[in-house]
Amino acid sequence: GYDSEEEEQVCVISLFLSTGALKWKEGLQQKATEAFLRHQEAAPNLRKQVYGSVVEADDSEEDNEEEELGGLFRVSRPQKSKKVQANALDCSHFNPDTSHNWDLEEMLNSIRDCFVTGTWEEGQDAA
Amino acid sequence: MASHGLSYEGCNFLRQRLVLSTLSGKRVKIKSIRSKDDEPGLRDFEASFIRLLDKVTNGSRIEINQTGTVLVYQPGLLYGGTVEHDCNPQRSIGYYLEALLMLGPFMKTPLKATLRGVTNDPTDPTVDLLKSAALPVMKNFGIDGEGFDLKVLKRGMAPGGGGEVVFTCPVRRTIRPVQLTEPGKIKRIRGVAYSVRVSPQMANRIVESARSILNKFLPDIYIYTDHMKGANSGKSPGFGLTLVAETLSGSFLSAEMSSTPQGQGDPILPEDLGRNCAKLLLEEIYRGGCVDSSNQSLALLLMTLGQQDVSKVLLGPLSPYTIEFLRHIRDFFQLMFKIEIQKPLEDERKGGDKVLMTCVGVGYSNINKTVK
Repeated sequence: GYDSEEEEQVCVISLFLSTGALKWKEGLQQKATEAFLRHQEAAPNLRKQVYGSVVEADDSEEDNEEEELGGLFRVSRPQKSKKVQANALDCSHFNPDTSHNWDLEEMLNSIRDCFVTGTWEEGQDAA
Repeated sequence: MASHGLSYEGCNFLRQRLVLSTLSGKRVKIKSIRSKDDEPGLRDFEASFIRLLDKVTNGSRIEINQTGTVLVYQPGLLYGGTVEHDCNPQRSIGYYLEALLMLGPFMKTPLKATLRGVTNDPTDPTVDLLKSAALPVMKNFGIDGEGFDLKVLKRGMAPGGGGEVVFTCPVRRTIRPVQLTEPGKIKRIRGVAYSVRVSPQMANRIVESARSILNKFLPDIYIYTDHMKGANSGKSPGFGLTLVAETLSGSFLSAEMSSTPQGQGDPILPEDLGRNCAKLLLEEIYRGGCVDSSNQSLALLLMTLGQQDVSKVLLGPLSPYTIEFLRHIRDFFQLMFKIEIQKPLEDERKGGDKVLMTCVGVGYSNINKTVK
């Protein structure tokens, strides 16, 4: 933390030193762009999760090559999670691993408006 | 691409690979099927599934190596017609039926499939669930009419089986694009509590305990009790419950639970089964969407094969099975969906995040269907 503190001080000093226009206004657009990109990365990109990226596909091909030690021994590695899944049970049921506790009133309240007995949005009618 | 086909590894997702291969006409090769296992190769139930696929198609070529670790499938034409099949009891009829639901509308002649085996087990979607949740999904896409039905003639619990169902499906030349973006509010809950070779009182006990939870939300709940006797009750005892929540806009969300098969693990009390199943339905409602979690891939397939127009469907969180299905759709049909997450508003009490799936159909037309 020491380095960054020093940097910050330098920044503050340079702010004071600049004459005329306020220095913090400079590069605002760039800062906003960076913040936006950071936010984009933080939000889970489901499409990427499903389809992956081209780079990832290349990596997996390289992994297939087996390493040889001294031209005689093969390095045997335990199967990766992906390979284990390849021979798992073929079943369409979606069993949630993080099941909610439906004994809690709080959980019951979280789905109240899914029912006709819940509150209705304006403009909608229980016709 | 079409000449040397697609290649995969492992026995997982076997059904979706073979179904998509049949629909796209692309050859598929599956290697390393349980190759590291003590008993390598295809299991009996998988062989049984492949035989069923062979029955509904014409001219399919299937090659399996000696150990059963490599399968090559060259799809033929979907023929349909009247088919009878004894489904291997290692898996329930739902396992086989899920594939037939996807293939049914694209046959040359309307399908009438009589399937025998295990109708209800805890692993796969039961025939009752498919009847009450999968068929309504297909109706949204214009697959309906008198000839569209799933009848449970005999009930057969795991592990013995001895059940029988008849699935009839009309053929369609094209599939209608859909806009299912508004799930609507749940107006009623229906269900079936079934029991065979145990006291008929079991079903009543299940209904009682499930209602005790669901009545906190809705008065309109009706759970039928279905107790089959004699020749219609299969070979093994058991009971279970299927629940379906129906919304004002015609969406169906389902949940189910079956008793532990005889001789496999701890038995479950009907009261616990009823309560747990009701909670599973609440979980499904929390996930939400216009199509429930077990039918996501069916809806996505029909969107893919729709006419060349935009289809939109709102789903709950994607299941791992569905995610893999999307990857397979990309492989076989070169189609990628637009996937958008919809977060609930601050003061909304409608469960968790939803996923909006959008695509333009590939304009699949059923060339197998005879023109009259």
